[in-house]
Amino acid sequence: MEISGWDVAAVFAKAVTYAATFGAAGAVFFALYCGTLLLDAQHGLIRRLIAIQLGVAAAAGILRVLLLAASMSGEMSGMFDTAFARMILHAGEGRASGVRLAGLALMLFAWSKNRAFRGPAMIGAIVASTSFAWVGHIHGLVPNTAPSMLMCLHLLCAAFWLGALPPLLIVTGGGNGPQIAAAAARFGKLASRVVALLIAAGASLLFILIGSAAQFWSSDYGRMMTIKLLAVAALLGLAARNKLVLTPRLLQGAARAALEFRRSVLAEMTLGALILLITAAFTTLTGPP
Amino acid sequence: MLKPSLLAFALCGIVAAGPCMAHAKLQSSSPADNAHLTEAPKTLTLKFSEAAQLAVLKLVRDGKEIPVPLDKAAKASQTFTLTLPALSPGNYTVQWSAVAADDGHVTKGSFVFSITA
Repeated sequence: MEISGWDVAAVFAKAVTYAATFGAAGAVFFALYCGTLLLDAQHGLIRRLIAIQLGVAAAAGILRVLLLAASMSGEMSGMFDTAFARMILHAGEGRASGVRLAGLALMLFAWSKNRAFRGPAMIGAIVASTSFAWVGHIHGLVPNTAPSMLMCLHLLCAAFWLGALPPLLIVTGGGNGPQIAAAAARFGKLASRVVALLIAAGASLLFILIGSAAQFWSSDYGRMMTIKLLAVAALLGLAARNKLVLTPRLLQGAARAALEFRRSVLAEMTLGALILLITAAFTTLTGPP
Repeated sequence: MLKPSLLAFALCGIVAAGPCMAHAKLQSSSPADNAHLTEAPKTLTLKFSEAAQLAVLKLVRDGKEIPVPLDKAAKASQTFTLTLPALSPGNYTVQWSAVAADDGHVTKGSFVFSITA
């Protein structure tokens, strides 16, 4: 396939849509799961982070449709041709974008301090983060019910894990040692189970999409998936270090443990962004072999 | 409890899933890629690997685009046949882009043919 500048821009827009949607959803999950450990100022920062990411996710999603239209036509004028946008939206992107926007709108309830609004915000986080399953290679399978549910599980786990990293960074930035240790320990306890689910669902999806090990190096899709898996392995290594080495040191009150934990969370965020970019690239530019 | 049930669910998903479709790829065309024709074709046919919407079709000769009517509101299909205007001898390039109906992915490509007098 020929790759134009519009394709590259569409890949970046998709990666930003992933990151902002997972970021907002993961922050909602984090605020609910670790909320009792957070200071008021941290709650405020996380609410602001959610609001910003909701806006970015919505804008990047719309921009991606326009960039795909430009990619189809090969010219900027394609962005403003409603026929192209209609084709993209009718082919499934409209369904996924509509579900995502509904989820993002529900997550606006996270802005409120009222506990009664936590439920709708949580539902919004689940709806928005699983919206990507409404279009794409897995959705195109026949039948697609079980694979789509596996994809939803994979997306939910990714949102919980990757989306919790910025709030965790906020905690390490403004919290005291015992508070950081308590938040890291509580998050790590559930995160290890979530990551196990993420890997199980991801491995199943991989088998469905690729089928044969030879495809990992003989097809563009497989080669890009291999790069993603290497980045995921590095991310798992960092997460394991956080849980098994740095969190116990935080709980013991070791000097510099908070700083090392913060650096490790930053490294995880960087790797997470790279993984989302690779995913956006191979789901946009290539197809399963 | 969680892990065995998840494993069972994952296995069900793998067993139940049919073959995965890739993006809509151009399987064949008439005129074919690199075809040398002695007579101008009256129609252009594109056949895709799966149902798609044909978004763009440009027919270019010597850098100049020759208009070919394309119904952008047409329903998704695997095969598209378009009526061509009267073509004079020369080298032609066909550029196309399509959106796969079931996975929403955009594919594009081009091929060439020539007509000799």
